[in-house]
Amino acid sequence: MGSSVSHAATPPPSIPPPPQHAVGLAGVLPPKSEEKSERKVNWLNLPCPVPFEEIQREALMSLKPELFEGLRFDFTKGLNQKFSLSHSVFMGSMEVPSQSSDTIKVPTAHYEFGANFLDPKLMLVGRVLTDGRLNARVKCDLTDNLTLKINAQLTNEPHFSQGMFNFDYKGKDYRSQFQIGNNAFYGANYIQSVSPHLSLGSEVFWLGHQRKSGVGFAARYDTDKMVATGQVASTGIVALSYVQKVSEKVSLASDFMYNLMTRDVTSSFGYDYILRQCRLRGKFDSAGCVAAYLEERLNMGVNFILSAEINHPKKDYKFGFGMTVGE
Amino acid sequence: AMASRVSSKGKGKAGRGPEDGSTARCVKEWSTWTMKKAKVIAHYGFIPLIIVIGMNSEPKPHLSQLLSPV
Repeated sequence: MGSSVSHAATPPPSIPPPPQHAVGLAGVLPPKSEEKSERKVNWLNLPCPVPFEEIQREALMSLKPELFEGLRFDFTKGLNQKFSLSHSVFMGSMEVPSQSSDTIKVPTAHYEFGANFLDPKLMLVGRVLTDGRLNARVKCDLTDNLTLKINAQLTNEPHFSQGMFNFDYKGKDYRSQFQIGNNAFYGANYIQSVSPHLSLGSEVFWLGHQRKSGVGFAARYDTDKMVATGQVASTGIVALSYVQKVSEKVSLASDFMYNLMTRDVTSSFGYDYILRQCRLRGKFDSAGCVAAYLEERLNMGVNFILSAEINHPKKDYKFGFGMTVGE
Repeated sequence: AMASRVSSKGKGKAGRGPEDGSTARCVKEWSTWTMKKAKVIAHYGFIPLIIVIGMNSEPKPHLSQLLSPV
């Protein structure tokens, strides 16, 4: 193909290049693996990029575990390969967002019943709480490339329910998404692979009721060993993240967020140890907050969870423990 | 002007032809009514829908498996 000739660093080898050292033995040895890094780039066959909303997923997985305060117990019972029920109990404090800098914690206890149906083409997940709130997620593959996702939180109180419809189209080396949400929210995003490692994307959104709109741009560079992402939005937010996979078991992650409107800067550093019997994630950030989250596999399907978050400036100490039974 | 137009939204638009106003109002009221009914149906029916779809998937689980804790 014409494109490969103009972009290749080395001429495309149709036979393995002759090795530089001794002729006789080297001729029977397999070609060196460094050849892989010099393989020519096929610009017409780029990989499909990650979805736009998952552009920072490695950093989010390592730096934002689900920290909680109190007791958590989750039990998932599978009835067959695709269908399972879950029962979940939580007793502890939940933080209520407050205007002042003090944290307001409300002691809560709830039981949550859930049903999951997971099929390659259709996924239905529903969770209902004792106070009547329903969390519903639907993912349906309408065709090979078009997916419909619905995300909704329905409450008994009027005007507090939220819902979002997403239509995702996956192309050969691009993805696009169109979103419709309640309160007349419309959004669209598009991400394109421009090289085997680099993908660029952008998004626009429009909030009908408040007549606000925004534009954002994102870039993601990933290799086997690292992922770097950057996002800029017209709401005045700049977010950068970097994840380095130090070894099979260890990753280090860092992220940086700057809000141009409020001149707020937050930066955090974390580690993620994925070991045979446990997964330990820890982080500290520039707001003086140190957190850790441990999931220990006690037995097949039984996990023990410890969560800790210490906010030194606000003197807010959150410790939680729990158990997860079932897949 | 924008605020007054927004507040009189539900009461029909002054100055337009009567047919335009009433059909637009009907469509709006009807769509609000369907959204409210759809929200109630989804709220009460989503989990039973998942359970019905799951109990009918292969291999069919038994009803007792649904209720027992083991």
